[in-house]
Amino acid sequence: MEKVFSEAKKAFMTGNETAAWAALAAGAEVMFGYPITPQNEIMHYWTRMAPKYDRGFLQTEDEISAGFTVCGSVQSGKKAFTATAGPGNVLMQEPFGMAEGMRLPLLAIIQQRGGPSSGTVVYSQQEVTLTTFGGNGEGHRIVYSTATHQEIYDYIIKGFNTAWTYRFPTFILGDGYQAKMREPLELYSPEDKGIKMVEPYPLIGLPGHIGEDREPKHLCNIYSLEEELYEVVMKISAEYEAISPELTEYQERECDDAEIIIVSHGVVSRAADDAVTALRAQGLKVGCFRPITLRPFPAQELKNCIQKSGAKKLLIAESAYGQLFRLVRQEIYGETVPMETLFMPGVGIIDYDIMSKIKSML
Amino acid sequence: MSLIKIALAGEGGQGVQSVAEIIAEAAYEAGKQTIYIPNFGLEQRGGVSIAFIQVSDRRIGAPKFNKADVVIALSERAVGRTAEYSDKNTLFVYDCGFAVPPEDFPKEAKKIIAIPAIDTANNELHPRVFNIIIMGAVIGLTNVVTFEAAKAALEHKLGYKFEKDPKLRELNFKAMEIGKKLGEESLSKEGVC
Repeated sequence: MEKVFSEAKKAFMTGNETAAWAALAAGAEVMFGYPITPQNEIMHYWTRMAPKYDRGFLQTEDEISAGFTVCGSVQSGKKAFTATAGPGNVLMQEPFGMAEGMRLPLLAIIQQRGGPSSGTVVYSQQEVTLTTFGGNGEGHRIVYSTATHQEIYDYIIKGFNTAWTYRFPTFILGDGYQAKMREPLELYSPEDKGIKMVEPYPLIGLPGHIGEDREPKHLCNIYSLEEELYEVVMKISAEYEAISPELTEYQERECDDAEIIIVSHGVVSRAADDAVTALRAQGLKVGCFRPITLRPFPAQELKNCIQKSGAKKLLIAESAYGQLFRLVRQEIYGETVPMETLFMPGVGIIDYDIMSKIKSML
Repeated sequence: MSLIKIALAGEGGQGVQSVAEIIAEAAYEAGKQTIYIPNFGLEQRGGVSIAFIQVSDRRIGAPKFNKADVVIALSERAVGRTAEYSDKNTLFVYDCGFAVPPEDFPKEAKKIIAIPAIDTANNELHPRVFNIIIMGAVIGLTNVVTFEAAKAALEHKLGYKFEKDPKLRELNFKAMEIGKKLGEESLSKEGVC
């Protein structure tokens, strides 16, 4: 496949444009999608660039179809992806569940908008529960929550490799702000950074006669017997748990002696980071912890952070009403550190909001 | 340079977002950390269009802000719509020609400044370069980018049009220069109407 960038290149662009370039650089062969704000421009840029690089695109009749078409495409060995938001993410839960059950290397970019329902077309962090544990399965997904355009680029490239290495549906969880804002980043071809892209391969229609040359491939999404399904789900669960330690990613700052640790993810973690800088300058012992993977969650790492600091309190800050909070609470079960919350569903959080909250906690 | 936060607001079609994009690109080309985000909610469809720009030497945090260093309201109703972004450190700029109800002005501002941008565009230049005068004013008020960097960004954005009609280039650069002067003068005077 043709190299997209002959050398690394600085750029100033929107997150959606970044996402399209990243998919292109990662060697994605086809996108299936259905328009919804604020992710539309991923499709727009992809359709503009795809013909030049001999890549494909199909706009399906809705999001359910877009998700299932990705499920079909990856089975035939195509590196395929989709992008959606809000109600589109709701509709895609059925195909995402199929990808969990059949272990399909599906990649989806989610640009969160306000909810419930059509909510706003703008911004939120209200698709955390849906993206991590949506569908009628067990949340066997890998979810990267990005905070910058560089991360959108880096994690889409990484996400394709994660999907094709582990065969769990993989999500790049952004939001409307990241989708629409412009900021600087570096575009590059993965091989120039020493990143080897995992080659896609067909999961069905393999060579050789079944029973003679090879065993049959059973990619099932429905089972006749309860016991059969039980075994499958237990096997998937065990494999997911086994790979979790190598997949979890997080960032922490100034946690060693922190009396209060701010826990936030995605674009809000930028405000938390600024708040820590400002509060430290005022002599307040505040640190921050950011899960990059929301699934699997860096639970042990957060527990370590709480234990080594002896933090008196956690502050969970999110542009949702408790979706990250619930995730944190279940993941660090057993920790007794009191938690306070800053819930601002559907609106942005800036350093000032976090600093005011922290001061009210002292 | 410490962080500079600018909010530009006006009606759809006034070129608010284009100007914001050019300023942001100029800052980016000058090696600054820059974030530009438009408001793009349903309110934008028939509402006031706002551009949020932040420029700094350091990594910038959240994409939006509560209070701006400079607010420029390019229509009468944009004044009321953007008053919330003004506090005691804010330069709040609007056009001399607006009939603004007193209650629409921000409660707090470092300075509320009226400049004759629309009048200058209509009478001295061309109505279509109104937004470029405003862009010049932003530079005059904030020094967020150098005049040369802004010219280069403008050339980058509109170069294909300038090639067809070199007079356009002249007109735009002149508009930016006049705007810059209006911005600078308004800092020392109580408005330049």
